[in-house]
Amino acid sequence: MNESREANSSDIGRLVEASQAGDRGAFDELVRLYQRRAMRAAVRILGDANEAAETVQNAFVKAYLNIDKLKEPRRFEVWLLRIVTNAAISQQRAARRRAERIKVINCHEDKKAVSLVDKAVGEELKEAIRAALLKLSKKEAKAISLFGLEDLSQREAAEVMGCSVAAVRWHVFKGRQKLKRLLKEYL
Amino acid sequence: MENEKEKIDLLFEKNTKEQLAGIDWGKFNGAISARLDEADLSKTSRSKLPTVFKIASGVAAAAAVVFIAVMVRTERPMDLQLEDGQRAVVKFIETKGSASVEIIEQNGEGKENGSQAAWIIIRMPEPVLVADPFLQGADNGANGYLRDLIHLF
Repeated sequence: MNESREANSSDIGRLVEASQAGDRGAFDELVRLYQRRAMRAAVRILGDANEAAETVQNAFVKAYLNIDKLKEPRRFEVWLLRIVTNAAISQQRAARRRAERIKVINCHEDKKAVSLVDKAVGEELKEAIRAALLKLSKKEAKAISLFGLEDLSQREAAEVMGCSVAAVRWHVFKGRQKLKRLLKEYL
Repeated sequence: MENEKEKIDLLFEKNTKEQLAGIDWGKFNGAISARLDEADLSKTSRSKLPTVFKIASGVAAAAAVVFIAVMVRTERPMDLQLEDGQRAVVKFIETKGSASVEIIEQNGEGKENGSQAAWIIIRMPEPVLVADPFLQGADNGANGYLRDLIHLF
């Protein structure tokens, strides 16, 4: 059970309301509760922890600046995951456009707040997954990402994506089909 | 959604775990906190500026309203009723041409009574196409105002 799920929805609601009233500490607590879940969702779309970390930081800033627009405090998780997955998809599209760029991540790794990956392990798999993820449509990538979040119901995933449960299942199915084909040598 | 996992999901799960395993969550939390501090700072500096910008935008909006009102009023005939029964024709140009005018000030009585203003100060913001030697070279500055007033009265 993850930390965000340990806190019940009324606790979350109170923290959100306090954040909306300008309590920065309350928002910090929301960050602490949801950072792992947000990272997990982002990594599943981007396939890379460094990019996911940047995306999640941006997403939390966006959530912080727009917290007063959240009408139903108890639905913070769905709202946050929507921000995170949208940000990750944008980041992924940008990554696709920069596909030919020289990778410089290692050069400034020390500057990053997160020193993230044991590069010796699974680097090849990571790159293969990243490449495969770029072949998915936005909805397929989101559905696959949300599918991997433990304790997230299909209904919640559908809420995050703004579509029906049946549509989520369809996108998961289609996404899996593509990924199976693209990653068959790893299966 | 846990019970429907396939091989491909397990592969993703493996990669996700490996990616997340290297994260120092304390540092990561600190990084987010630092970003939020920056956002707070920029929010604070933004909240200080609005007073100035609100005033400026208010002035600009008022100016826009005045300008629109003036443009509408320039559609009126160029002869103005100044007082009861009195009629004065303001000739900006001898007989030809036209110019849009900006109303600088007028008395309120006429407006309150539903009639036209008794006096009105105007200026011509645009160059005037005239053969009138006095108006030739009219500018939009103080001299322009003076000439306009002379012509009005």
